[in-house]
Amino acid sequence: MSSTRALKTRIRSVKSTKQITKAMQLVAASKMRKAQEVEKASAPYTRLANEILTHLSNLGETDRHPLFKNKPSVKSRLLIVIATDKGLAGAYDANVLKLYSRQLLDDQEAGVKTKTIAVGRRANRFVSKLKGVEVVAAYQDLPDDPAGSQLRAIVDTAIELFMDESVGAVDVVFTEFISSVQQQATMQRILPAGYEVTEVSESVSSAEFEPSPEEVLEAITYRLVEAQVYHALLTARASEYIMRMLAMKNATDNATDLIDDLTLEMNKARQSAITQELAEISGGVEAMK
Amino acid sequence: MKLQLVTLLGVKVDADVYEVILPTKDGEIAVFPGHEPLVGIAVSGAIAVRHNKGDADSSLEYFAISGGVIEIDQHNVRVLVDEADNGEDIIEAESKAALERALKMRENASSQVEIEKANQLVDRHAVRLKVADLRRRHRH
Repeated sequence: MSSTRALKTRIRSVKSTKQITKAMQLVAASKMRKAQEVEKASAPYTRLANEILTHLSNLGETDRHPLFKNKPSVKSRLLIVIATDKGLAGAYDANVLKLYSRQLLDDQEAGVKTKTIAVGRRANRFVSKLKGVEVVAAYQDLPDDPAGSQLRAIVDTAIELFMDESVGAVDVVFTEFISSVQQQATMQRILPAGYEVTEVSESVSSAEFEPSPEEVLEAITYRLVEAQVYHALLTARASEYIMRMLAMKNATDNATDLIDDLTLEMNKARQSAITQELAEISGGVEAMK
Repeated sequence: MKLQLVTLLGVKVDADVYEVILPTKDGEIAVFPGHEPLVGIAVSGAIAVRHNKGDADSSLEYFAISGGVIEIDQHNVRVLVDEADNGEDIIEAESKAALERALKMRENASSQVEIEKANQLVDRHAVRLKVADLRRRHRH
C-alpha cells in the first residue's frame, strides 16, 4: 500500500486536472451555443441565393454555365477537409480524418488524383504526412465567426481550380451537427454547383438581369458556394464544441471517480498505520509487565 | 420601400427606406420606390441609405460592402453581400492605419498567397476609408 503522503499528492494533482477539464467543459458549452447562433444567422443568405438561382435555372442559364457542368469522368478532385486546431474533442478528428482517408483510397482505386485544402491544425498535420496528395492550401486558427474575406481565399481557390479544369469536382469533408447528441462526419459536393429548388417570388421572376444573366449567375453561384463552405465551417465548429464538451465532461467524471478511489485508499492506509501503531504500543505495554 | 441587407452574419438591415444608392458594375445607381425589377451585381464600395424623403445628405447611413448581388423590385431592395460594415462603426484613423499596414504588407509580400491576402485587405480597408470619408464630408 502506498504511503499516505504519496496518495495525498496524487489526489491534489487529480483535483487540479478536474478543475481544468470542468472549465473547458463550460467554455465549450457556451461557445457551442454561439456557433449555432452564428450558423443560423446565415440562413436568409442561402435562401435568397437559392431563390435567384432557381429562377436563373428556369431560364435555362444554369445548364450552359461551366460552374454547373457535370464532367462525364472526373480525373482529379479537390477535397476540403475541416478538422480542429487543438484536438481534445473525443473522436471528432479521428472520424473526419477517417472519412477523408476513405475518400483518398477510393480515389486511388479509381485512378483519380486528389488535391486537398486542409482547414485546422490537426488536418494540416495529417495531410502533410501523406504521400501522393497535393496540398493546395492549409489554414489554421480560423476564428469562430470567419469573416467573408477569410472565406474568400478558400472559395476562390476552389472555383479557380474547377474553372481551369485542374479538378473535375470539389467536395467538403466536415462534421455535420445533426443534434446535440448526434454529430456525423459527412461529405458534401459543392462544385459542380447545385442549388435547392425553391419557390421564386414574383419580384425575382419578372426581373431584368444586369449586366447579363451569365454574369449574375456567376456572381450568385459564387455567393452560394461561399455560403455552403461557411455552413460547413460553422456546423463543424458547433460539432467540435459539443464533442469537446462531452469529452471534457467524461474527463471530469473520471477525475471525480479517481478522487473517490484515491481518498478511500488514503483513508485505508491511514487507518492501517494507526492500527499498527496501536498494536505496537500495546505490545510494548505487555512486554513491560 | 423595404431594404434588406443580407450578409453571412445575418440580416444587417431590414427597414423601410426612401432611397438607396448602390455601387454596381456600371456605376452607382439610386433606387427609389417603384423601380423596375432588376437583378444585378454590386461591386465593392459604399451603400448609402436615405431613410425618409426629406432627409438631408448629412443624415445618410453608409455601409461598406465588398461586392455581392442585388435584387430590386417595386417595393423591395434586397442586397446579398458576404459582409457589410456600418459607417457608424468605422473609425477613420483605424482604417487609415489598417490600409497603410495592408499596403506595406503588399510591398513586402514574398509569395502569391501573401500578395492576394494583402490585396484583399487593401480593398477592404480602402472601401471602409471611403465610407468614413463620405460620412465626414456630409457631416460638416
